[in-house]
Amino acid sequence: MASVTLKGITKRWNEFVAVRDLSLLIEDQEFLVLLGPSGCGKTTTMRMIAGLEEPTLGEVFIGDRKVNDDLPKDRDVAMVFQNYGLYPHLSVYENIRYPLKVRKVPKSLHSEKVRQAAEKVQLDHLLERKPRELSGGQRQRVALARAIVRTPTVFLMDEPLSNLDAKLRVTMRAELKHLQHELKITTVYVTHDQIEAMTLADRVAVMDHGIISQLGPPEEIYNDPANLFVAGFIGSPPMNLMKGKLHDNNFQHPNFSISINHEANLEEATLGIRPEDLILCAAQKGVLQGTVYAHELTGESTLTTINVGPDRLTIRGPKEFKINIDEAVGVQFEASKCFLFSNQTGERI
Amino acid sequence: MGNSIRKQVADLFQFALILCAAVVILVPIYWIASGAFKQQVDVFQLKLLFTPTLANFNEIFRSPYNLHEKLLNSTLVAGTTVIVAIPMATMAAYSFSRFRLRFERTMFLMILSTQFVPAVVIVLPYFLLFRDLGLLDTRLALVLVNLSLILPFAIWMIKGFIDGIPLDTEEAALVDGSSRLQVIWNIVLPMALPGILTAAIFCFILAWNEFLFAVIITNSKAVTMPVGLSLFHAEEGVLWHLISAAGILIMLPMFGLAMIIQKHFVQGMTLGAVR
Repeated sequence: MASVTLKGITKRWNEFVAVRDLSLLIEDQEFLVLLGPSGCGKTTTMRMIAGLEEPTLGEVFIGDRKVNDDLPKDRDVAMVFQNYGLYPHLSVYENIRYPLKVRKVPKSLHSEKVRQAAEKVQLDHLLERKPRELSGGQRQRVALARAIVRTPTVFLMDEPLSNLDAKLRVTMRAELKHLQHELKITTVYVTHDQIEAMTLADRVAVMDHGIISQLGPPEEIYNDPANLFVAGFIGSPPMNLMKGKLHDNNFQHPNFSISINHEANLEEATLGIRPEDLILCAAQKGVLQGTVYAHELTGESTLTTINVGPDRLTIRGPKEFKINIDEAVGVQFEASKCFLFSNQTGERI
Repeated sequence: MGNSIRKQVADLFQFALILCAAVVILVPIYWIASGAFKQQVDVFQLKLLFTPTLANFNEIFRSPYNLHEKLLNSTLVAGTTVIVAIPMATMAAYSFSRFRLRFERTMFLMILSTQFVPAVVIVLPYFLLFRDLGLLDTRLALVLVNLSLILPFAIWMIKGFIDGIPLDTEEAALVDGSSRLQVIWNIVLPMALPGILTAAIFCFILAWNEFLFAVIITNSKAVTMPVGLSLFHAEEGVLWHLISAAGILIMLPMFGLAMIIQKHFVQGMTLGAVR
């Protein structure tokens, strides 16, 4: 068990900078999720921790040991890949045993360790099968068992659930969380799925264009977004963002204005508000007015999308709520639930 | 109803085309196969019923033909070529597939470009080279020539199979604790084995059938089977019954190998990644 420290790491391929001067301390036993859209540098960051990519600049530490020059095999990490990375010519048993075999763990211990790892992921009845005879979820479990069979210092997981169907993903997510809690191993988890990030992480590092946009516990990332990128990326559906002006404690949108306690005066500002903080009401009673564009039932709630001038807002409502398309509606919300961002810098103001 | 008739006509047309292709390919083989078991007087008669004889096979192994010596030469030359070529080609193919090398594309193109040169252009330089080295009419010379002809082909073919192995699998092995050599030995080789076997068999066939260089740089001791066939061009004319018998001996291993290739080729295509 150990912490992982990244000190000013940069990864560059010719002109393209995948990761830019990134520094991060991942505490011992922490579950850290690197979250971001495709191409934001999250997988590259993880691959540099694993030793599969060499940083162009900067240092990687596992515990107190600088590992920049260490081969992947000498870093004592275990990794679960997006496509599982199973060895198709070996049985499940041999797949799980492989790390023990190449690391010269005494042979007498192999059988017991493999069985223990397989039991943890409920695979003990499938040990004789070849990977091609398994379902996606079972393959993922083999990859997990192979990672935990030898108690590594750090777990690295690169979008391990992205190839599973939605239902299985929820089950596996819970199992992963439980496993990490049980094993208490420092874990770095890469995903573009914010639900995975929110549910699994002790802390989330939201990445954009090779830098960390915001780092903090999931609730902080959700309730207190540091910039427009995080506000627009986190949440399903994401935060509603409306462009306008900020003048004399007033946010002025082409279609409405709302009094907001903020001293700054900005010609270009963005007001953000979560779908669940908006309430639909009669047209004349609302802070703003619009017409219904779409109405969807998601099961546990409804999502109503309305057109407000140039913008489209999504409002979460109770599951019983019904409304017709093109109906005129009003929307109420509290100023205290709003977030303000500078359009120029993208930062919260 | 109309559709069903159209489908039957299409099937019939397909069958007729396949039959035509089969006839074109198989008639010469049938002619050789039947000739091998005919007596000399019957060879030019197209009769389907004749009394088969094994005398031709007896005769080709006796003096002055001594075909067993040529058979041994062919086996040793083709076998050694494959045994040397395949490990070399596998390592080169792995490097080309996995490492980003300086001038990689140029190097690969240069290797392949050796295949674009007609063999007849380089046969004379080879002859002079081996004459100066004192290697004329030796099996070693044939192995060297075959290696130069076969290696580029083997590298290209094996690279294709290694390219098909997902990088994730290798990287998983690296993180699991393997060195690069262990990755190659434990993961890449078993996964590419059907491809490597296919390449080995193709190379064996190429070396086994090689005629042009063998006819120029051998004359008695290192003569191979394809060259040995020219022995049957005697004063009394072309001894087709003996050529046919020798031809059968040349073809038999090829048929066996072709059947193995077929099996492994399908395996190679279907092994692939586990996703």
